[in-house]
Amino acid sequence: MKKWITGSMALMVVGSVVAGCGNNEESGGEDKVLRIAMGSPGEAMIAVWEEIADEFESANPGVTVEYTFQDDDTYQTVGLPNLLSGNNAPDLYFEWAGERLYNRINDGFAADITTQLEESGLGDMFAEGSYNGMTVDGKTYMIPTAGDVTNVIFYNKQVFDELGIGEPQTWAEFLAACEAVKASGMTPITVGNLDLWTAGNWIGHLLSRVVGEDAYSNALQLEEPFQSDDFVQAYTLVQELWDRGYVNDNINAISDSESDMLFLNGQAAMHPIGSWLVPTALEEAPELEMGYFNLPTIEGGKGDQGSVIGVLNGMVVNAKSSMTDEAIAFMQLYSSDESSAKLSAAGAVPITTTGLDRDNTPELSIRLNDLLAEAPTVVAPPDTGYSIEVANALNTATSQVIGGAKSPADALKQLEETVAPLKK
Amino acid sequence: MLRKASPYLFALPAVLVFAFTILVPIVMTFAFSFYDWNGYGEMRFIGLDNYDRALHDRIYLSSYTHIFIYIAATVVLEVLVGLGLAGLITMGRKGSSLFRVALFTPVMLPMIVVSFLWRFVYNSDFGLINTVLRAVGLDSWTQVWLGNPDTALLAICFVSGWVYAGFYMTIFYSGIQRISKDVYESAYLDGAHEGHIFFRIKVPMIRGLVKTGIMLCVLTGFQSFDLFYVMTNGGPYNSTEIVPTYLVKVVFSHMSTGYGSALAVILTLVIAALGLLANKLGRKGDALEY
Repeated sequence: MKKWITGSMALMVVGSVVAGCGNNEESGGEDKVLRIAMGSPGEAMIAVWEEIADEFESANPGVTVEYTFQDDDTYQTVGLPNLLSGNNAPDLYFEWAGERLYNRINDGFAADITTQLEESGLGDMFAEGSYNGMTVDGKTYMIPTAGDVTNVIFYNKQVFDELGIGEPQTWAEFLAACEAVKASGMTPITVGNLDLWTAGNWIGHLLSRVVGEDAYSNALQLEEPFQSDDFVQAYTLVQELWDRGYVNDNINAISDSESDMLFLNGQAAMHPIGSWLVPTALEEAPELEMGYFNLPTIEGGKGDQGSVIGVLNGMVVNAKSSMTDEAIAFMQLYSSDESSAKLSAAGAVPITTTGLDRDNTPELSIRLNDLLAEAPTVVAPPDTGYSIEVANALNTATSQVIGGAKSPADALKQLEETVAPLKK
Repeated sequence: MLRKASPYLFALPAVLVFAFTILVPIVMTFAFSFYDWNGYGEMRFIGLDNYDRALHDRIYLSSYTHIFIYIAATVVLEVLVGLGLAGLITMGRKGSSLFRVALFTPVMLPMIVVSFLWRFVYNSDFGLINTVLRAVGLDSWTQVWLGNPDTALLAICFVSGWVYAGFYMTIFYSGIQRISKDVYESAYLDGAHEGHIFFRIKVPMIRGLVKTGIMLCVLTGFQSFDLFYVMTNGGPYNSTEIVPTYLVKVVFSHMSTGYGSALAVILTLVIAALGLLANKLGRKGDALEY
């Protein structure tokens, strides 16, 4: 066991050294190299990136664009830090807005690009809301490329119409809707929480609504305890969902995709998941009439009841790079309407104000896009905004409460014990 | 001079490869375990803190309980069931070769395939088990097999038995085949029936193999990973968390390489201690008299 862990560590080190050597030789030429790093966006998207690179190279003689596409998981964990601390660090790299970006800024890897964005006009290509989590003290550190609402509650319109249920606006209406669906013999809500992030996202949003965004964020950064009356109160709402039989009984045994299928096959009326369900739904169940609503408002909650949970991401210019202007120019090309059209064709939802092809993008995707852009408050999901270890502990507690295994107080007590060694 | 050095020079490449792939990683893991380190950033020496944390880590400690339950269950479901099956297929009845092949088939399937297959079998909505239970009117027996902390671990043990019983059966089968036919013949003449032959002749005469089988089962128990990873990944509520799945979470998801190294070192010590213990116990009474 331990052999292969360190073995792979060693491999990684060797790998990066070898990669480093390769790059050194290439940069020995006259060309300047613009290095861009990201998690692999899939073949169709890579083709678009390559196309944009070719265009950029022909418009800027003397500059070569060099991509590093890594496996998504690797990039998110060891990959990017390795690249940044390596010899040939990327000049432009993909990152998630919020906590992760703030860490890069603190570590000195993110350049303040406020003036460049203004002067080049690139900054005006995005709505103000698209910069959520990308600015610190009025300085902008990121060029937005995409946004995902990580949780809304999708529902089966046909079922809702038959039962005469409207989109619930409040938690009480939501519970009433669940009750009506349950009475008709159908599972009201399906969640596939095998990997913990699904309910983790949904209930994370609920937690932030009840305890307030600051308390939620501070708790996840271990600055405030999880064991508080507010958290207990929030989890009590969750416990109720299980006790009343509103969620599927195999919630912690099936994966997110299995749960997607249950919903798309019409076996459950509601499915709390992220915006990525839309393309899946169009492909797998084109005849399904699907709607969505944001988490209903919770009376007495201390958070912003209009908040949206989601992640925005974008490209960061490395503060240590000497190619800032080239990087900005590249992103300008990337954000142009022509590129956006290519990106749309490859399945992406461009985030520029004019790039979104409103006629050829699914209506639900557009509405979700707008929901995020117009959100008064954007809440970061536990597992992308914060330490993954704390997030896992919180998500475990969530799974225990929503699966009926532990009472809110017990789950929170155990959560406190789990994160205790991390408070140093 | 060169003559003296030449044997060492010949051995050098092999030694270097061994050192780089096995020796250095082991030593490094041991060294990492004293640091607070995320795998790439700054390393901070923290002495025995990681070990102290491990001994108070609820999930880590319970993962040992789970692995011991798993090992105990698989010794029965794999080795003992395998032994019983080997006894049955060596009775020389018609069609036993068909059973031999059928029972060995699961061993040939990749573990990942088996894991996914059984996830469908256990699925509470459309899985084979619950469907059958409902069909025969035993609705109250249906379970969310992999989502219930009381049944998840046993469900995994059963799959492990389903796969490896055939493997141990094959080993024991070959052992039993080597027993001389004369022994059976004289036993039959003395009026022995199949039960006697199994317990008094077949099992005692392959006792060495059975011991090896149990040892193999215990030690490979610590290496199981794929089945747990695919079927539950430690869930629900860490009730099927075993050391390897937890290690992967700590090192590759939590990015606590230092802490993970300490966990790995402790696991190694536990396995080594068990190996020594088994070795001591195994020395006694190896002689077989009949």
